[in-house]
Amino acid sequence: MSLWSRLSSLWRNLLRKEDVERDLDGELHAYLDQLTERNARAGMNPAEARRAARMELGGMEQVKEEVRGQRTGHLLEEILHDVRYGVRTLRKNPGFTWVAAVALALGIGANTAMFSVAYGILLRPLPYPDASRVAIVCMRYYPRDFAYGTLSIRDFETWKANNHAFEEPALFDNTLLDIGGDGAVPEQVKGAIVTGGFFPALRAPPLLGRYFGKGDDRATSASMVVIGESLWRRRFHASRDVLGSSIRIGGAPFAVIGVMPGAFRFPSAETEAWTNLKLAPSTRFGPWFYRGVARLKPGVTMQQAQAETNAIGLRLMQQNNVYKRLGLPVLELRTWFAGEVRQALLILMGAVGLVLLVAVVNVANLMLARGTVRDREMALRLSLGAARGRLIRQLLMESVLLAAAGGAAGTALAYGAIRLLRAWNPGSLPLMEYVRLDARALIFTLAVSLLTGVLFGLYPAMQSARADLNSTLKEGGRSGSAGRRRARIRAALVVAEIALSVMLLVGAGLFLRSLDRLQRVSGGFTGPTQQILTMTISPGDRKYQDARLGVPFYREVLRRVQAVPGVEWAALSDALPPDRQGDADSFAIDGQPAIPGEINPIVSDVTASAGYFRALGIPLLRGRYFDEHDTADSEPVALISQSMERRFFKGRDAIGQRLMQSGPGFGNAWLKIVGIVGDVKYLGRAEKRDSDAAYYMAFGQSYSQRMYLAVRASGGAGGVMADLRREIQAANPAATVSRTGTMRQALDRDVAEPRFHTALLALFAATALLMASVGIYGLISFSVAQRTQEIGVRIALGARPGDVLRLVIRQAMALAAMGIALGLAGSLALTRLLQAMLFGTSAKDPFTFVLVPCALLSVVLLAAAIPARRATRISPVVALRYE
Amino acid sequence: MSGKQTNLLQGTLDLLILKALALEQMHGLGISNRIAQITRGTFVVKPGSLFPALHRMEEAGWLASSWGESENNRRAKYYKLTAAGRRQFETEWRQWKTIALAMRSALDAQ
Repeated sequence: MSLWSRLSSLWRNLLRKEDVERDLDGELHAYLDQLTERNARAGMNPAEARRAARMELGGMEQVKEEVRGQRTGHLLEEILHDVRYGVRTLRKNPGFTWVAAVALALGIGANTAMFSVAYGILLRPLPYPDASRVAIVCMRYYPRDFAYGTLSIRDFETWKANNHAFEEPALFDNTLLDIGGDGAVPEQVKGAIVTGGFFPALRAPPLLGRYFGKGDDRATSASMVVIGESLWRRRFHASRDVLGSSIRIGGAPFAVIGVMPGAFRFPSAETEAWTNLKLAPSTRFGPWFYRGVARLKPGVTMQQAQAETNAIGLRLMQQNNVYKRLGLPVLELRTWFAGEVRQALLILMGAVGLVLLVAVVNVANLMLARGTVRDREMALRLSLGAARGRLIRQLLMESVLLAAAGGAAGTALAYGAIRLLRAWNPGSLPLMEYVRLDARALIFTLAVSLLTGVLFGLYPAMQSARADLNSTLKEGGRSGSAGRRRARIRAALVVAEIALSVMLLVGAGLFLRSLDRLQRVSGGFTGPTQQILTMTISPGDRKYQDARLGVPFYREVLRRVQAVPGVEWAALSDALPPDRQGDADSFAIDGQPAIPGEINPIVSDVTASAGYFRALGIPLLRGRYFDEHDTADSEPVALISQSMERRFFKGRDAIGQRLMQSGPGFGNAWLKIVGIVGDVKYLGRAEKRDSDAAYYMAFGQSYSQRMYLAVRASGGAGGVMADLRREIQAANPAATVSRTGTMRQALDRDVAEPRFHTALLALFAATALLMASVGIYGLISFSVAQRTQEIGVRIALGARPGDVLRLVIRQAMALAAMGIALGLAGSLALTRLLQAMLFGTSAKDPFTFVLVPCALLSVVLLAAAIPARRATRISPVVALRYE
Repeated sequence: MSGKQTNLLQGTLDLLILKALALEQMHGLGISNRIAQITRGTFVVKPGSLFPALHRMEEAGWLASSWGESENNRRAKYYKLTAAGRRQFETEWRQWKTIALAMRSALDAQ
């Protein structure tokens, strides 16, 4: 059969319908005339002839309908008709349509947004070819015990010498680079120092020039830098002349050899420059600054690579008897970026799935209620000869329309939500820059909304169409067995909604409790957080690595800063609470000989100037703080934290005892402990007390080139910032100031991630609760409407308003109690999954498990009270006349 | 209406219509008369089956229709085979013969 003929028929049938119909009508009438004439010729009288002809034709409209059913595009036409009819019905019931569409939009919108975020972070391909074959290699060993810790160049050499699994292994370290010497204001950027295999492992081509290759990481190699696109545009005006030119980093010349595109964001999203690491033959283990990155050789799996590094780990332990329980974990690039947030995202995905479920249940409930009201319409149409299949299809079309509207609104909602989430991103969600509403999320939404439409449309549609015509028409669509079954199903749906809401509320409640506990944890300092301003300072030139130059520079900075009006205290340190651990090292205690090959655990070691403790408000428990007499020429002293004393001095008084940085064999001097200070959180407030162990060395006796400046200002912190910057630059024009902010901001940042999760979960729970209360309100209103007569009779027989109120509310409370019981059982089963993410809160927290049911009961009470009050005002006379 | 009306096999109606129109163009009544005649009254095609079939076959491109004058000078719609319809007729005829032969040998088998 010819396609052309089909298409032209379709065209005619759809667009020239009147012509086609007129033609058909003419044809059938002509046929009828012919039959009549034949009958007349056979001897019938005209009236009889006509009647017989009509009988033979068998009903003009039926024949036409049969012909129409054969036309090309007939199905399409019927569907269009269903769509038009559906739109009309939905518009006639704005209340129902709005509630259902909004419920769906919320469920679908939240789902799409969460799916997009989870997809972007957990699934979207990273912008490096074959990124799943790139591994990050870390090192974990006792006593350093960081799960994904760092390795030293000596360890790297051993790995490289024994490597068969990876193409050229590379090493990298995050660093800060002071860029200056070009006349513009010196600037500090995040950078990385990398070996020759680094860029080839990631295989992302440079935007301009070249990147490091083999041989660029020798001890004799020239100093080179590859810059990021953003830095190139910002500082070098996107000029191609930058290639081959020399820029100053830390005062030393570096040749610019290439520019990486903006999409290349490794090791961190903010990295803007990469310099070549010059591998001098190592003479000892340490410093442990580096992590490895390498691409698997073809045919090698991550598991095989891990097996090989395990063997290399054993070899490292033989080489260095300080290493205990050493392993070299091999992480996929994605796990490296997103491993920590994975669980939180999965939990949020699960939660948002429950929200969608509540939305679907809610809409199904509404549809059922409406189905009951429409039983009569359906029965009437069936008795007039409508096909059941056709009716089902038409009802289904209504659901699909509703789901499509909900899906469209939901997509718009998701779009907004994603933009909001990206703007709100606490910085802890990695790869957030890859998150966008993408085609896949859209397909997911559409699938969800269509499936939802079919799900909640099918059941009521089947029921309506199966209705027993006689009884339905007789009963006036009020009760009947189908009605009773449906009422039971609706009650079950409301119970399910309440149960799901309980689960979400319990989850949100636990998160809120946990966040509250976390926020109550003190950072270990009592200074007014709004007035403490912190920043990173760097002298900007590597010659300041020498303490003889560096210490005078910083002393000059302190002197100038203290003279700025409004500055109460100013101090220097190389670590800051709540989350900026500077250095961490082992230590030795005089008189506690270590077992050969054993070293003490690695704890925070902080270099701080005399004013540090007062500026932040770190309490002195015993002894004294550092003071201006603790200089390079005086006796070396140390302070230790309370936890340090508790853990390592076993009840003896630590004051007066001697401590050494790193431990024996490093040639460090003994430090006399002169004071015990309060515990300070340097690793984040969620860390356990044991990690609060820290020892402090006096600035001047100890030195590090990059320090934090902490200033306590009497007024607002913002006012003095410009003055501080000016004074620092005056002390040294090459100095850079970066990462400025108040302690308040740092504390906020420290809990930003749990706050983010908590806010989302609370939002989901609130949405579910709202929908559940709409559901119960709908059910009770409907049931009150259905029982108008009964209630009227009760009132006529003397029931008081209180009795009626109790009658209605008891029904709502029974449902609520059932839903709450189910929800609590479900919560107990599910919240175990949350335990790892809770801080100081049990997953069976009694407070939450009591509060949530109470809150839910009061919401249900409120939702039921409105229809219940309406019931008390039913007039018996009107109710009995109702029919 | 014939008492011993035989139900038309699925697809048979199309073949009969094609056969009826093989010689000359005809209007609806003519087609049903002709089918009754060539099947010796075994098949009587009712309008409720005839017209849907005619319209379906026309949309498939096998038939072409035009308005003309009937034998009693009345307006009537005439159908004729198109080239595609003629090819379809050949095909269906061949298929039918194969099936008929197969059915007969199947039913005659001992």
